[in-house]
Amino acid sequence: MTASSTPEIQLDQISMRYQTNSTEVLALQDVTVDIKKGEFVSLLGPSGCGKTTLLRIMADLIQPTNGEIKVAGESARAARLAQKYGIVFQSPVLYDWRRVKQNINLPLEMMGIKKAEREERVDYLLELVGLQDFKNKYPWQLSGGMQQRVAIARALAMEPEILLMDEPFSALDEFTREHLNEELLSIWSKVGSTVVFVTHSIPESIFLSDRVFVLSPHPGRLSAVVDIPLPRPRTPDMRHSPAFYQLISDIRDCFEGV
Amino acid sequence: MVSFRSRWLPSLVWIVGLLLLWQASSWVLLHVVEASMAQSKIPYIHELIRTFITYGGTLFTEGSATFSNAALGFLLGAILGAVLAVLMSLSKWMEQLTFPYAVASQMIPILGLAPIVYGIMRDEQIARVLIAGYITFFPVALNMLRGLRSVDLSAVELMYSYAAKPWMVYWKLRLPASLPGLFSGLKIAAPLAVTGAILVELMGAQNGIGVIMLRNLYYGPSHNYMFWSTVIVGALLGLLSYLIISLIERMVAPWQPEFRPSGGDK
Amino acid sequence: MEEKSVDDVYSWSEEGVVKVNKQDDPSPAPVKKRVKSRMKLQQIGLPLAAGIVMLLLWEWQVLHQIFGLQTYQLPIPSTIVEALVENAPLLLSYTGYTMTEAVLGMLIGSSLGFVVALMATAWPRWGRGGLLVIASLNAVPIVALAPIMNLWFGSGIGSRIAIVTVITLAAMAINAHKGMKMVDPLALDLMHAYAAKKTEVFRYLRIMNSLPYVFTALKINTTASMIGAIVGEFFFSSKGLGYLLSNSIKVAKMPLGWSCIVVAAIAGVVFYLLVEWLERRMLKWHVSHRA
Ligand SMILES: Nc1ncnc2c1ncn2[C@@H]1O[C@H](COP(=O)(O)OP(=O)(O)O)[C@@H](O)[C@H]1O
Ligand SMILES: [Mg+2]
Repeated sequence: MTASSTPEIQLDQISMRYQTNSTEVLALQDVTVDIKKGEFVSLLGPSGCGKTTLLRIMADLIQPTNGEIKVAGESARAARLAQKYGIVFQSPVLYDWRRVKQNINLPLEMMGIKKAEREERVDYLLELVGLQDFKNKYPWQLSGGMQQRVAIARALAMEPEILLMDEPFSALDEFTREHLNEELLSIWSKVGSTVVFVTHSIPESIFLSDRVFVLSPHPGRLSAVVDIPLPRPRTPDMRHSPAFYQLISDIRDCFEGV
Repeated sequence: MVSFRSRWLPSLVWIVGLLLLWQASSWVLLHVVEASMAQSKIPYIHELIRTFITYGGTLFTEGSATFSNAALGFLLGAILGAVLAVLMSLSKWMEQLTFPYAVASQMIPILGLAPIVYGIMRDEQIARVLIAGYITFFPVALNMLRGLRSVDLSAVELMYSYAAKPWMVYWKLRLPASLPGLFSGLKIAAPLAVTGAILVELMGAQNGIGVIMLRNLYYGPSHNYMFWSTVIVGALLGLLSYLIISLIERMVAPWQPEFRPSGGDK
Repeated sequence: MEEKSVDDVYSWSEEGVVKVNKQDDPSPAPVKKRVKSRMKLQQIGLPLAAGIVMLLLWEWQVLHQIFGLQTYQLPIPSTIVEALVENAPLLLSYTGYTMTEAVLGMLIGSSLGFVVALMATAWPRWGRGGLLVIASLNAVPIVALAPIMNLWFGSGIGSRIAIVTVITLAAMAINAHKGMKMVDPLALDLMHAYAAKKTEVFRYLRIMNSLPYVFTALKINTTASMIGAIVGEFFFSSKGLGYLLSNSIKVAKMPLGWSCIVVAAIAGVVFYLLVEWLERRMLKWHVSHRA
């Protein structure tokens, strides 16, 4: 996908140092990244390499110790206050006391959208993630995959410019995960947000992304940026193409290089 | 130092602030409002401290009489409660028989039984121990049973895979797992046991903090500082019982999440 | 969630006991149903039979022989029932009086406790210290409170309401505070990402999250409020179940004293079940109420 030239997210020399009682962890060191508008990128790396930290910095949930972040030319804080973000975590983080449709409704309520408009929007989102029949269920009545789809619908409720996803499917089984990957791409093709997707699965990152940012641990650094030239729309059979396998081994090499 | 300032300083400020407020109210009541029995209602703190110093010996002996009776009953009740919990977890039959009564006993104002027990026993010592024990019994049994049952199925299967004997499963798994439940029951029961013991004393006994509490109340305003001192001693006994149990819990079951140092101060 | 189901029928909340209703699954096989109903019969029948046997042993004074008691010490059930029937109007009006104290005090105390929890959560640095001080209230024996409240509020209904207010306040403050603090950190992140204001975090997340804990506190408080009211009446009242109870014992009317206990127990159970019913209606979504 060819995106416009102004970068949507710009990270410049980002470092993050965690201070606990006795120890100090350098979670990220000098990470510089440009993400284009409408692009789908993955942050890939083994656990503990600072993926979540980087994502939380982008979301303005934490501030980096060093470096600068710009979102659409402004600060991350301005972007957050302008409600440009949708977030999906590893666990669905649904509110137990709200039914599925009320959970999706939450951000809309908080932004003070009118009721009629909210209902219309929720119906659209439910259809988008294929959960129309479950709108009146409580979260615990749904399977893990369905709960995560509700979380995605909730993240998309405000039509966010930027969708941040932190290992959203890593708690699911392989089959559900692949299925949701395909669904995510089809949803993304309809909404067109910029997506930053955190994962530790190499095939998942390749299948989804335009570009894969490979992070290496201790301290967390950007060790490679891999372009994924596979055509869009991506189809399941691409997972078996020689190009796909080649990409997998290319990325593997990135890790062995370190 | 940091932990002292963030943890204890606010509490300290609260306590000092409340004491000052009390002292000020006492003064206002006495000199501005000129209420009747002003010093009985809100006594000066420095007068209380003086009483504590003068009558410290009496307060201590009577307080320990109450406390030791409460502690004896508490101990008996706790042991019996724990035994019942183990029996209930071992036998479905036992559980079905006693569980509804244990539950119902939690909904009933048990302390109402104090006068009855005293009426039956007519012996203050036994009555105090019995009431303290009875109050302790059910909370301990129920909470300990919850703990015994809280064991993960996979943890049991792990023991099974080691070919562990049933008593081994209890000793190594269920009993340790039940400790948090046991202690939460004990923490509920400890101040109640003290309350029960004092209550029996108020019904008419020869010694104990409740006895001098009542006596000084009836002597009227001239004894109001002594009365308030006994009230404070009663409150301190309740607190002390709770703190002792908490301390023991920290030594016996230190692995619980509450005791873990949290990384940051969130 | 921190609650663990113990078996199909009962589960416990943090403190105190919660009975969970068991719903039959939609299409049970007939055999299964029969087995289930036999289980149920045993579950109710066994303790019921044991209770009846105990009552009979008591009635026939077998218990008296075992423990060496006289009937003037431990009256037999039939005389208790007799006293109950004879004094029904008095007992009823006194129950109303005592329950008024308990319910009013509990409503005031629990509301105040909830407000304290809100403030302690909103301003954690000072709130936690204040909460620690309030928690120590929890350990103060009711019997020490009774004479003080009597000095402050006289010997009328007000002093018992004050006692109940004080003892229910602490439990609510501590539990509700726990519920407001123990939110999923990611749920807080979510709120933050939506640029939620502090009040919105309370409105959308903390208060709802605290509801199960609030009900735990309410259930603890039903019993505590009854105890507070009754014990408060022991000493300085001329009305109420507690007054009648302690007075009957003093003048050696044991059966009447026991009938007070019986009535108080029934009132306590009804009060508790009422709160539990309310909980079931309001917390349909909570783990403890899932079919
Ligand atoms: N709040 C925190 N306090 C201290 N150290 C942290 C904190 N969060 C993460 N870390 C540390 O920072 C490093 C990167 O963590 P994280 O970003 O969660 O990695 P990933 O998401 O890739 O698994 C790890 O070593 C982790 O222990
Ligand atoms: Mg992570």
